Amino acid sequence: MLEDNELITDDNIARVKDLLACMEKGHEEDAIEIIDELTSIRETELYQDMGKLTRELHDAISNFGMDDSINIMAEQSIPDARERLNYVISKTDEAANATLEAVEESIPICRNLNEQASELHVSWNKFIHRELSEDEFRNLSKDISQFFKKTDDLGTVKEHLTAVLLAQEYQDLTGQIIKKVINLVGEVEDKLIGLIQITGAPQADKAEGSSSDSSELDGPVVPGLEHKDTVSGQDEVDDLLSSLGF
Amino acid sequence: MDTEMKILVVDDFSTMRRIIKNLLRDLGFNNTDEADDGLTALPMLKTGKYDLLVTDWNMPGMQGIDLLKAVRADADESLKNIPVLMVTAEQKKEQIIEAAQAGVNGYIVKPFTALILKEKLEKIFARIG
Repeated sequence: MLEDNELITDDNIARVKDLLACMEKGHEEDAIEIIDELTSIRETELYQDMGKLTRELHDAISNFGMDDSINIMAEQSIPDARERLNYVISKTDEAANATLEAVEESIPICRNLNEQASELHVSWNKFIHRELSEDEFRNLSKDISQFFKKTDDLGTVKEHLTAVLLAQEYQDLTGQIIKKVINLVGEVEDKLIGLIQITGAPQADKAEGSSSDSSELDGPVVPGLEHKDTVSGQDEVDDLLSSLGF
Repeated sequence: MDTEMKILVVDDFSTMRRIIKNLLRDLGFNNTDEADDGLTALPMLKTGKYDLLVTDWNMPGMQGIDLLKAVRADADESLKNIPVLMVTAEQKKEQIIEAAQAGVNGYIVKPFTALILKEKLEKIFARIG
């Protein structure tokens, strides 16, 4: 851009005066010549400025490119992080399924023992109060023997509980992996900020910059992150719904 | 509550379906089926004579809110009026309001407890009678 002091020079003032004089006298060809002259002065300045800017941009980009880490990030670290996160999904999935399986197999055993124990309790109370006939007593002692045999199933429950315990190992592995990915995201963030500074793009307002497509679902609320217009927990959902007449 | 009622559980995560099915079984409901999104759930609902729909919101294919809207717009009166319980991680006020306006009967946010599920089910069926 031309600075004021570059435009308003004695030479240019003289040119403009000449131009005015030519126009008043009706010397069209002379006037056009002066206008062309003025235009070319302006264009020259503009080209020089553009050249300077282009050179600066070129330098900045090549300096940026010389930093190999961004290439490594794009070509290795990010695909690598994707793989790691997929591994986290499969590990957590595996753990959840192992836990569910163990629980699903344990619940019927517990329910069964629980029911039988309640039945025995009723019969036992009758026995204590001498309300049992001889036949009923024989059945009771048979039931008690069977119940003791059934309690062997508790060994299976114990095995299942150990399986649940072991399934939690995923937390350690996935925690380490996610920490690595968090570090990578931090590095990428730094690089992006560098890139934004080089290109001189205006930095978006923080509040507005984070606004995403409204049709996109937010998913779980993460503690420590700002969530606009969300409820925190079931109680607030219930309050909101009852305020709507539900 | 009629523990013989037929329930369809819709969630894209099989673990969540299993958790909900187990909790329902614990409450005495053994007659449950599963679907992994709205697109698979809708034909099942149309032919299956279900008494309750428990659905997630965020699913590929057809989302829970669209499934709810499709159900409420159905020509079949019994499907149109089926109780719908939403179990979702979506906690935006405007989404909860949207679900309410679309005719949801209960809204549970994840993570939830067995007690909350029980309370909401009781509330839904107390209101319906």
